[in-house]
Amino acid sequence: MKSLWRRLQWLLHRDRFEREMDEEIHHHLGLLADDRKEADVLRQFGNITLIKEDSRRIWIGTFCEQLAQDVRYALRTMASSKLFTAMAILSLALGIGANTAIYSFMDAIMLRAMPVGHPAQLAILKWRIKGDATVIHGRTGSAYREPGGGITCPNFPYQGYETLRDNNHVFSTLFAYAGGGRMNLVADGQAELGFGEYVSGNYFGGLELSPAAGRLIGPEDDKSGASPVAVISYGYWQRRFAAQAAAVGKRILVNGYPLTIIGVAPPEFFGVRPDTVAQIFIPVRQFGSLDVNQRGVSTWHTDPHNYWVEIMGRLRPGVTQAQAQAELVPLFHGWVLNSAENESERALLPTLWLQEGGSGVDSLRHQYSQPLYVLTAMVGLILLIACANIANLLLARAEARRREMAVRLSLGAGRIRVMRQLLTESILLSISAAALGTLLASFGIRALTWLLANGRENFTLHAQLDWRVLTFTLLVAVATGTLFGLAPAIQATKIDITPALKETRAGSSRARTRLPFSLSHILVVAQIAISLLLVAAAGLFVRTLGNLESVSLGFNRDNVLLFDLNPSHAGYKEPAIKSLYADLQRRFQLLPGVRGATMASVPLVANSTNTTGISMPGQPPAGRRAPSTAVMMVGPSFFDTMQIPILAGRPVGEQDIDGAPVTAVVNEVFARKYFPGQSPIGHHFFAFAYSGNRQGVDIEIVGLARTALYDSLRREVPPVTYISYLQSIKNWSITGMIFEVHTAGDPLALAGTVRRIVHDVSPQVPVAGITTQAGQIDGTIVQERTFAELCTCFGALALIMSCVGLYGTMAYAVSRRTSEIGIRMALGAERRRIIWMVLRQVLLLGAAGLAVGLAAVWETTQFLKSFLFGLQPNDPLTLSFAVAILAACAVLAGYAPAWRASHIDPMVALRHE
Amino acid sequence: MGTRTEIPPGTLYMLILKTLARIGPMHGYGIAQYIQQTSEEVLQVEEGSLYPALQRMLIKGWVDAEWRQSENNRRARFYKLTPEGRKQLNRELRDFERVMLAIGKVIEPA
Repeated sequence: MKSLWRRLQWLLHRDRFEREMDEEIHHHLGLLADDRKEADVLRQFGNITLIKEDSRRIWIGTFCEQLAQDVRYALRTMASSKLFTAMAILSLALGIGANTAIYSFMDAIMLRAMPVGHPAQLAILKWRIKGDATVIHGRTGSAYREPGGGITCPNFPYQGYETLRDNNHVFSTLFAYAGGGRMNLVADGQAELGFGEYVSGNYFGGLELSPAAGRLIGPEDDKSGASPVAVISYGYWQRRFAAQAAAVGKRILVNGYPLTIIGVAPPEFFGVRPDTVAQIFIPVRQFGSLDVNQRGVSTWHTDPHNYWVEIMGRLRPGVTQAQAQAELVPLFHGWVLNSAENESERALLPTLWLQEGGSGVDSLRHQYSQPLYVLTAMVGLILLIACANIANLLLARAEARRREMAVRLSLGAGRIRVMRQLLTESILLSISAAALGTLLASFGIRALTWLLANGRENFTLHAQLDWRVLTFTLLVAVATGTLFGLAPAIQATKIDITPALKETRAGSSRARTRLPFSLSHILVVAQIAISLLLVAAAGLFVRTLGNLESVSLGFNRDNVLLFDLNPSHAGYKEPAIKSLYADLQRRFQLLPGVRGATMASVPLVANSTNTTGISMPGQPPAGRRAPSTAVMMVGPSFFDTMQIPILAGRPVGEQDIDGAPVTAVVNEVFARKYFPGQSPIGHHFFAFAYSGNRQGVDIEIVGLARTALYDSLRREVPPVTYISYLQSIKNWSITGMIFEVHTAGDPLALAGTVRRIVHDVSPQVPVAGITTQAGQIDGTIVQERTFAELCTCFGALALIMSCVGLYGTMAYAVSRRTSEIGIRMALGAERRRIIWMVLRQVLLLGAAGLAVGLAAVWETTQFLKSFLFGLQPNDPLTLSFAVAILAACAVLAGYAPAWRASHIDPMVALRHE
Repeated sequence: MGTRTEIPPGTLYMLILKTLARIGPMHGYGIAQYIQQTSEEVLQVEEGSLYPALQRMLIKGWVDAEWRQSENNRRARFYKLTPEGRKQLNRELRDFERVMLAIGKVIEPA
């Protein structure tokens, strides 16, 4: 050890040592010259450089030299068994690559903090509730179902926010924000759509951001009566204003409403939502002025029953999240209780809780975390298979090299030295695999981003190979190398030299096999078991996708062109909007190749809903659960165009206009739920509009439609009410609509024509979101599709790797028994019997693997339940299919060595050493 | 100068160690001179093996080196025996004597 330390010293002070060496030799020469009185001492002394070289080699000497030797030798061995090396490196590279890619996504989604000051101090406010809270009349935003039942939601009433902000002692800033959705931005005469975010005056201060230009929104901008201002994103500033300082002070039309740009957000900041890139930030006070939704927005800042702003806070120094929560919970509870107006509202109230906010709003994490956990588990298992494979291959090779090792040991090589050499080989393998794996990972990340984004224009999830990911890969590689290098290395050096030396290459009758199974058998069984798990999971996901795709829709999905129009963003008001829609619909219907054109306020199967509470005259409310219905405002000929059959009564259409009594078509679910056992036609019900209307609107049911899917392939169809958009209902104003054009041919071919017509009629109204109904539906199951595809890839990968492992083990076993098989054949064994002899072992290994695998599948697929649709985690069909595939592959992998064994020429085999 | 004989393999360390044990700290040239003179010019220490051997002994910790003024006021690297080096010397001497004894028995005319 000391000598190693001295060597290190030498390496560190190499220059000094060199100089000293020089001086020493010159000193020697000088003395020599004095003694001999000769000038020609140099010749006598000999080769100075050689002496220096020799001394130098002594220092770097053995260690580095041996390392170089080992590396050279390892490279030679690798080159001499190319198939082995390629297989080993490739399988490990695939394992490492898959792990790195998935880990990069984990990193991007789960771990990366927002680019704001001290992100760890941020906390997000949420509430949760079990059951329906009637105190909440309207809710805009996202909500998640919790595993234990109930929902959790980040949206609060504005007044509730003010109360929390002004009465807490735990947050230095408590700021609010609300998504503005896609906004029509017109600057310098150029229109574009961009996401907007309404933010409270202390938003930027609370996030500790400083402007890239101008100033950011402050509390003085967020007061009623303040002049309307906006902050734009750095990206928008660069794109639209070429990053000119003159952009500050310019006017920008947002949804037709003029705002003054006061500043630019810092370059890397896109808002607190990782799933959208906000282009413009507007004081939340302006929310009413911008008339985005036009549904009684004037009351949004004062209505205590309308939940819409999200809240984040910066904890005061020294205050923990738990302390903050302890103070805020009673504060919010008191406020909500005060806002409740009757007993039923007081019966169930939302409970506040805090969540870490350093990574921003958790929508992405929520969407992808579970799939990512599953994928991480899968790639982890694949890495395990790869490691087992390598271990098995190295084990087999170590066996084959027993004689070589014995020779080395008998010639005096130390055990440590031999183990070091074997370790060098395996670490070299894993480092090469890690390099290749990193390359594969970078492709994988690109492919995954592409798959997940699925053509979405502002996909914000930017996973990249950063140094942490690389460290992780390197650790995995070295750990793997040590792991699979050490076991065979120890085994290889433990051999008893004498018998090993006597052993011939074909010597099979070793007394060593005392156990009926060896380490390599256990590895093969484990591989098969893991593969079964992965193949079964892939099968479950593929069948889920199949089930989702074959769900009966109840409407026509083919040849329907969809696009959004929102004339209110271009300044249109109510009567003008409706006449514009009617005009456009007429024009579309007249186009050649168009079978029908209509519109609806909500696209079908696009995960968007619009729900309102209702009450039945003369019927007591059924329990705590207030009756409700989904509402769609539809254009005339909606039912014809979407091919939803009317079972009774009449569709709503042209005759249901302004001033006429409000009529509606309901679906079968509605009829069954609220009018069980009778025809709903002619009945009335009251629909509560959005906040502000207590009376409800009297609606007469005039038709019954066959059930058609509403918002999602997975969810049960809710009761749906279809109302003609031409009818005017107080507070239910018509804004944006989705047009649905049924064509004879390819619907997208019509997109250009549609754009031109809209432009002719109204140049200020942009056509957005052009897609087809089929594309729309597919878009909602992108995650399931990606998942099924990835899992199929992983399953296939696992299968191939296990087959390689099984094949390698069997091929090796056969090659060791060559002479035994030769003798058997010389004694008259039939080929059939030889094949059976080998296959029997394959089948035994396979059966053991499948048994272990099935037990594992039984235990683990329960965790996948939430991912599945239309089948159980232990779906017998999928499981038997997976077992059949694995058994077939195992037999196939085992048959090749068996066949080779049966074709051994006894003469060759017996002479063979 | 008499006939020069190469130092028997494996004994150079022992000779160096013994020299240092006898005359105390000395530089490379001095060590070579001492071996040469004491052996009455029979043993010739090659510079090409002396310096690498000294380096090796430094690594093994048998000798220490330090820079000092030599007798004629030149800076020179002096090598000094360490306790470990002394132990090694004893070991080598013991081994050497055993081998010499054994060789003697073999070549002794019977």
